[in-house]
Amino acid sequence: MSRMGTPAQAALRITILAGVMVALLATGLRGVWPAWWLVVLVAGLAVAFALLPEAAMGTAATGLVLAWWGFAFRGGPYPEALLAAAGLLTAHLAAVVAGYGPRDLPPDPATVRLWAVRGAVVFLAAPAVYLVATLLEGQPEPGGIWIAGLAAALVTTVAAGLVLAGSSQEQ
Amino acid sequence: MTRWRPTGALSRSLAVGVLGLGLAVGFGDAVLVVLSAPFLLLAAFGIIHRPSTRPDVDAQVDHLHLHEGQGTRSRLLVSDLDGVEQVTRMATPAPFVATHPAHGRIGRLVTDNSSLPVLEISPRRWGRRILGHEDVALTSRWAGYRWGPVALVGNQLQVLPVRAPYDSRAEAPQPLGLVGAHRSRRVGSGSEFSGIRPFQAGDRLRRINWRVSLRSRNLHVVTARAEEDTGVLLVVDALADHGRSGGLEGAASSLDVTVRACAALAEHHVRRGDRVSLRVIGPRRVSSVAFGTGERHLRSLLGQLSMVGPGEPRTFGRERPFLGVTGGTVVIVLSPMLADAVATATATLVQRGLPVVVIDTLPTGMALEVAEGTDPVVAGLAWRMRLLERDQLLARLASLGCPVVAWRGAGTVDDVMRRLARRAQMPQVRAR
Repeated sequence: MSRMGTPAQAALRITILAGVMVALLATGLRGVWPAWWLVVLVAGLAVAFALLPEAAMGTAATGLVLAWWGFAFRGGPYPEALLAAAGLLTAHLAAVVAGYGPRDLPPDPATVRLWAVRGAVVFLAAPAVYLVATLLEGQPEPGGIWIAGLAAALVTTVAAGLVLAGSSQEQ
Repeated sequence: MTRWRPTGALSRSLAVGVLGLGLAVGFGDAVLVVLSAPFLLLAAFGIIHRPSTRPDVDAQVDHLHLHEGQGTRSRLLVSDLDGVEQVTRMATPAPFVATHPAHGRIGRLVTDNSSLPVLEISPRRWGRRILGHEDVALTSRWAGYRWGPVALVGNQLQVLPVRAPYDSRAEAPQPLGLVGAHRSRRVGSGSEFSGIRPFQAGDRLRRINWRVSLRSRNLHVVTARAEEDTGVLLVVDALADHGRSGGLEGAASSLDVTVRACAALAEHHVRRGDRVSLRVIGPRRVSSVAFGTGERHLRSLLGQLSMVGPGEPRTFGRERPFLGVTGGTVVIVLSPMLADAVATATATLVQRGLPVVVIDTLPTGMALEVAEGTDPVVAGLAWRMRLLERDQLLARLASLGCPVVAWRGAGTVDDVMRRLARRAQMPQVRAR
């Protein structure tokens, strides 16, 4: 057994690393490449993320990719963002499956299938938001207001979730 | 105290979602909303499905008493599975216990108690085996919260020696009991022809031999030898364990050979209706088993054998091992014969005129284990000298009339038992 555990666990961890790097380098499709030091930094964090899927390095790696996308582009949206969203989501879900146990725990096929389906469902939020943002892009109002509106809608969703969770606990 | 804690996945999805939204609002960039929207959904679903239960987790094995090589299942018991989606078990490997999956880790989606992950276990060596402790983690739906890992103490199994195939057709040398399978020197109601004698009052009519009676003009009856059971005393030398045990499929140590051979002999003699007793020369934790017969007695014998461990009794060396043997008992000593006290006790029994058989349980081709810091050349030389002394000891025992045979399974003691039976017919001088 290797340092990365069983072959299936190794595949999961490679998926984590690849997902993060794909999301970072997706800006290159528009000719905007990240600086080498950023690539090295994110790659290092992604490796740590792959080795320790439950640790905070995953948040740091994903946050850096988001920050890079924020710095690299203004306005938008760009279709490459969907590729980046898919990469980040795949890395996150691979980390969820890998985080169910130690590295020598073979992933349960049923669990992998369940998360694949869930990933496909939640990923639909990305093209939906992209579609809305594309439709709103031509409007005369300042773009920031629409973004704030989208953000408010998502925050409302989370708040509603928290309220529902609280009520289910009371029951 | 165990409680539902947010998982790393929930923390990450929440942090990434909020960070993405914050940056999107700050930079006025819709791309970041596209990137962070799935994470916000995952975080929301994780939080919504926070369980409110307080599950109790325990593990239970189906069988606590097993023979070497047999298998059983360790089942997980969770009191309340409401809100639990996935269960992971991580068992620490225990010596001489094989598990399936081999590494003892198993994770599975669960819907009810019947779908909880089951660990298959199989002890590979006799003795008391404590299963390694295990950690169990329960994860809620959408991997939002985790209960545990809860540490569970491993169950203890009593592993009885394997039932080695063993059979012997030899009869006991001096059967002295009631009803059994061994031909006695005494005339009785057995099936083995003994002789023909004149009829006496009390003889059964069906024993009359009409042919001889007609020829001699007097009634004659056929006599037969009685068939009696015998007492078998099994003496186990547990003063030390020589060699390394590799479990059921691996190499056997001297105590492995001793215990498995003793179990096979005990089972054989109990099945034949003999009275079997067990004496263990070793630590006091193993009590002797008095003479008895039957399936329950066999279980008692095997249970005591499973508790045998190497060591010397506190009074060892100051007094001779007391074996408490009575006449008409066959004594089978299972020993690597590396302790003088065992050899002395054996010689004493032989001089008392008891039929004694020594089964040599020192494994052949045993690899010498050298303690750290010891010169292997010196240790090898010392071991060879010890083996030479042992050879001399065995030769002296043989010269006293005590046969020494190596354990080889079925038929090990047949030849020596027959010889002892023949010898028992001859007049003997006994030392008291």
